[in-house]
Amino acid sequence: MRLPPGVSSADFSEAVKQLQDAVGPEWVFTSDEDVDLYRDSYSPFWHEQEEPIPSAAVAPDGVEQVQAVVRIANRYKIPLWTISTGKNLGYGGSAPLLGGSVVLDLKRMNRVLEVNDKNHYALVEPGVSYFDLYRYIQDHKLKVWIDPADPGWGSLIGNAVDRGGGRTPMRDHFDAHCGMEVVLPNGEVMRTGMGALPNSKTWQQYRYGFGPYVNGMFSQSSLGVVTKMGFWLFPEPEAYLTGTVSVPKRDDLVPLVAGLAYLMNSSIVLGTTSVASPLSFLRPDAELTALRAKPGGPSTQEMEHYLQEKNLGYWSIELPFYGPAKVVTAQWEYAKEKFSGIEGVTFKEGAMHRFPVDPNDLPQFQNSVAVGIPSLSVFGVGGGRSEGHVWFSPIVPMTGEAVLEAQQVFNDAYREMGMPIGPLFFLGPASNYPRCFLVLFGFPIEHDVEKNKKNRENFKRLIKVAAEHGWGEYRTHTAFMETVMDTYSFNNHALRRFHETVKDALDPNGILSPGKCGIWPKNMRKANA
Amino acid sequence: MASRREFLQIGVAALALPISARTGLTPAVSGPANQSVPTPLYKVIFDQRFLSSLAFAGELRRLGAPIYGIKGDITDLWFHDLDARWKREPIGIAGLTEHGPLFCLERLAWDHGMRVVYRADHTYRPDGYMEHELTGSEEMLREAVDLSSSGANWSSRMATLLTRCPANRAQASKMTVVTPTARQPEDPEHLVSWVIAPVGAARKFSRS
Repeated sequence: MRLPPGVSSADFSEAVKQLQDAVGPEWVFTSDEDVDLYRDSYSPFWHEQEEPIPSAAVAPDGVEQVQAVVRIANRYKIPLWTISTGKNLGYGGSAPLLGGSVVLDLKRMNRVLEVNDKNHYALVEPGVSYFDLYRYIQDHKLKVWIDPADPGWGSLIGNAVDRGGGRTPMRDHFDAHCGMEVVLPNGEVMRTGMGALPNSKTWQQYRYGFGPYVNGMFSQSSLGVVTKMGFWLFPEPEAYLTGTVSVPKRDDLVPLVAGLAYLMNSSIVLGTTSVASPLSFLRPDAELTALRAKPGGPSTQEMEHYLQEKNLGYWSIELPFYGPAKVVTAQWEYAKEKFSGIEGVTFKEGAMHRFPVDPNDLPQFQNSVAVGIPSLSVFGVGGGRSEGHVWFSPIVPMTGEAVLEAQQVFNDAYREMGMPIGPLFFLGPASNYPRCFLVLFGFPIEHDVEKNKKNRENFKRLIKVAAEHGWGEYRTHTAFMETVMDTYSFNNHALRRFHETVKDALDPNGILSPGKCGIWPKNMRKANA
Repeated sequence: MASRREFLQIGVAALALPISARTGLTPAVSGPANQSVPTPLYKVIFDQRFLSSLAFAGELRRLGAPIYGIKGDITDLWFHDLDARWKREPIGIAGLTEHGPLFCLERLAWDHGMRVVYRADHTYRPDGYMEHELTGSEEMLREAVDLSSSGANWSSRMATLLTRCPANRAQASKMTVVTPTARQPEDPEHLVSWVIAPVGAARKFSRS
């Protein structure tokens, strides 16, 4: 049996017995065969000793059982690593940051507690996936949309507390939550916002309650186990319309993004869109191959000319509009006016979709996630024997200048590191969050230990390069949390020191997710910092 | 060293004997592998985009097996069929797909008390050969030895084999068979055939 760090075999055996008493013997997993299912399917440490493998897993069925587990962990100073459905692939999956931790698996807690389609909210447990909530809504014929993550098998709570994003107007998942129930490190249960008021009638309606607003302390956090969470849902709209705006020149990106920022910040466009260029996905023909092979690369004018000859814009954005048919039509008309000053701009209107949609019409959606329908289609894209990826995901300003700068900086960094890079550089930039762009780089996971080591070094290098230019990661794989937190260093790491002070006060034994986001409890700080 | 994928998907200690077709394993002469009871298969999944997968489905149709076609995406299969079926009772499925659909189905199956009990990676090589890396019970590997003479009919041969996968979970062994096989024009470089089946000791997380 693997052991948690610093815990004797006798103590761990006793703790396992007590966990079995608390949740039932069949819900405590200690065999390698069971525990190995919690290893990170996309681990960047394949075949290496550093891979953090759990010692055991425990799966409670309710908040009282979570409290019992936390109290037992305190008694024996056993680190717990909380997961909801464990599908956080690319950011660590279900594996802990600290090897030997016991995984606190909440997927049995999968009850949809309430869905209200008059004031448009839901209250769920952590094991509820986007598919589960979508099914509940369909079965009960409720007129609300969820905002699924892509893919949709993950947990609403897990994704929201990790500050994941989606595509509809409710796409900022943490921002869309309203009210939490949390088991604190001492085993006490707390409700936030209006939930602190016994018999509250507005727990999922007014998010702040009274006094300091603490919910953010439980996102990307090791300060509590979230056992219930409310979410605002989007009223099923009458219609969904998309319109694509294309511009012919590289530098047109600046007015294009300025227009987009205006439309988004004015709440005219509320869904996720991303800046795209055909140079990202065009299959190179002989002409493009020759251009790219030129010493020093092709000039901007040559690339613009190449695309113009093919009747393609240099950049495009697809604007999503949700609401009454008359309104979305007017919004699209207004958007066209807004961009009409860009010379050579072209517009293409997509189909107007009406809701509720006939199930037989679903295949018409290229990406159902944009209309609130969860999907696993991202895994059907194809490819060889993929061993996964980890995401490098900095946030950059929502301006054309910033995007062009980021393109140059990351292209140069890739080149210096000897890494392959496409003609542009990434997925996105995407507007999953208000007022900024999220950029995603997938780092491949390999079978090759040396390649993975090199990739990890490159990943850390990119984190630093981004930080030097003022771009920070919004979320990261467990392997890089320390490095990312290191970059949030204003005033001699005042933020991390604050987190550590809070951590030590609330979790003196350091049992909850030690090391998460680079925040170690006092008893492990020296060894791991 | 066993890869993580093999480790996770087979989930038992492999014998770690890369058995080639020339190592003396003799093919099963006739009938199901060692007369074991085959895993009941609720659905056998194929990918409508690939010729080898279509041939696989054709053979299964001939054998009377229930088939289900996808185009890379298992969302409809999962949401409109398997989720409800597995909540009632775990039951085996099999398939010949790309890696992505298996990756999803395996993880979804874990929560219903099921595991991948047989897997074969089929890779077209640039030299006109196909490499079949099989991991499963020795009974299954014995059955698979004649892949070496199947050539372009390899996927039909796999169809037959998968319907005979024993219901009992035996210790996993490994075998590689390399055969001259021209790549079908529509096929991707790599396909995988697999069987997911209920495993007695595995916990069932789902709520019916």
